[in-house]
Amino acid sequence: MNTKKREQIDILFKFIFKGTGLITIALLAGIFIMLFSNSILFFFKISPVDFFTGSQWDPETHYSIQPLLVSTLLVAVGSMLIAVPLGIFTAAYLSELAPKKLQMFLKPIIEMLAAIPSVAIGFLGIVLVGPGLANIFGIQNGLNALNGSILLAVMALPTIVTISEDAINAVPKSHREASLALGANKWETLFKVTLPAALPGLIAAVMLGLGRALGETMTVLMATGNSAAIPEGFLDSVRTITATIAIELGEVPYQTTHYFALFAIAALLFMITLVVNLLGEYFANRLRKFHA
Amino acid sequence: MRFFTFLFVSLFSFCSPKGETIKIKGSDTEVNLAVVLAEQFHKENEDVLVSISGGGSGLGLASLLNGNADIANSSRSMKQSEFDLFKQKNIEIESFVFAQDAIAFVVSDKQTIDSLSSNEIAKILSGEYSNWTSLNQSSKPITIYGRQSNSGTHDYVKSILKIQFSAYAKQMNGNAQIIEAIKADASGIGYVSAGYVLNGNTTGIKVLSIYTGNSKAVSPLNAKAIASGSYYFQRPLFQYYKKNDYEKIKPFLDFEKSVIGAKIIKESGYYPVNK
Repeated sequence: MNTKKREQIDILFKFIFKGTGLITIALLAGIFIMLFSNSILFFFKISPVDFFTGSQWDPETHYSIQPLLVSTLLVAVGSMLIAVPLGIFTAAYLSELAPKKLQMFLKPIIEMLAAIPSVAIGFLGIVLVGPGLANIFGIQNGLNALNGSILLAVMALPTIVTISEDAINAVPKSHREASLALGANKWETLFKVTLPAALPGLIAAVMLGLGRALGETMTVLMATGNSAAIPEGFLDSVRTITATIAIELGEVPYQTTHYFALFAIAALLFMITLVVNLLGEYFANRLRKFHA
Repeated sequence: MRFFTFLFVSLFSFCSPKGETIKIKGSDTEVNLAVVLAEQFHKENEDVLVSISGGGSGLGLASLLNGNADIANSSRSMKQSEFDLFKQKNIEIESFVFAQDAIAFVVSDKQTIDSLSSNEIAKILSGEYSNWTSLNQSSKPITIYGRQSNSGTHDYVKSILKIQFSAYAKQMNGNAQIIEAIKADASGIGYVSAGYVLNGNTTGIKVLSIYTGNSKAVSPLNAKAIASGSYYFQRPLFQYYKKNDYEKIKPFLDFEKSVIGAKIIKESGYYPVNK
């Protein structure tokens, strides 16, 4: 009796866990199917050539993703230019140079950055970074791509620091010892041995940080000015894909070309972040294997 | 997300068994006014709850269509495409004009000009004039501070001037952000609801008077001019509702037409329809 009961419980739990696992996969599949089926309806109405080559996003007349895509990439790449050196050097400092106690103290603080809600960061962009940039560059208004990049860099920093630090820590001690024994000093060891050995992990860190920056909505919506022209530089205001969806989805009548257009740009964004995240995971896995 | 909103709304409505809830959604321009009206209304009719949210005129109409609202506040008249959607669903729609609003064009108080013609405004907003040269001889570039495309104000300005907005126009989150940007930018121009400026947000900015052709320039802050309809950028504020719901929402509409309602509308910086 007792055995039977135990077996029944086993089977029950097996089903429950299988069920929860399948629900997650079904959710992903559902999102995927919904995005792409609606996007396909869009491409029945607007030719993909116009969509990718036009230069204007002006719903009801022109649906071209180019200004949005350029804006998104500009802001995301800009944020990486700021966050990558900052993040990797912070990680190197934390794992190689900082005393143990300081490290135990600093790491949670950096990770706390990730807990700040994006809308609060966007708010800082409006009241602090925006006016600051306007002053420094002598422009009329600081709501531009650079503002978005700075804020996104702050948001991507915890991801980059945490993963980079793990990667640098995972480099076997023998590498460093060998380098030092050959007469290299601390800096040479760091830049020529430790960091190159941790490279797959660092790439993973950058990719995951980039994924975060690409998908961020509220901050860029608040801080970048949202003008839909193709930007010519970091001081132009930009409108990212995410901000466009957030602004326009509320007003759009369902089942219209405009509605499907928003699905199409969402699908494209989904594919970009998917590729970036897959790359990140691929490099992270390589690191794990290397570590094992 | 939608499911949770629904759950919340239904739970909320179970909590008030004796009353009913009138849900109003739509224009951000009207939301403050609607809240004040609803508060006063609720004081007088305690068993009717009125819930109000903003989000833009288009959102309000979409919610009315999707059954998430009883009244859609809209600061523009319905588009043909929206009419067609209601027709497809066999929903009969009625409208009610409860106040008049005027759009004020604002510049920094360092700006030398005091008035512009509607044509000049059209040329500025469409991007034809990219600097102030032909208007006041300064060579500074014009920065346009507008609203996002889900704003009724944005749509209204676009349709009355029959222009496409310049792609370089910045799209701000709301009236307050536009005013703040204009204060800091001596060569910017923006548009906000006159009601917003009336309620004492005028330090550092200047409200432009507008003329068409040879007519006299009229300021949007001039109540008499608005009442006579002589300001170019004035518009009725609509409330759309389903014909079937009329009995349910009638008390609220009646309240808006009442003397107290008119007084609240005036105090909020709009112009009541029945003078």
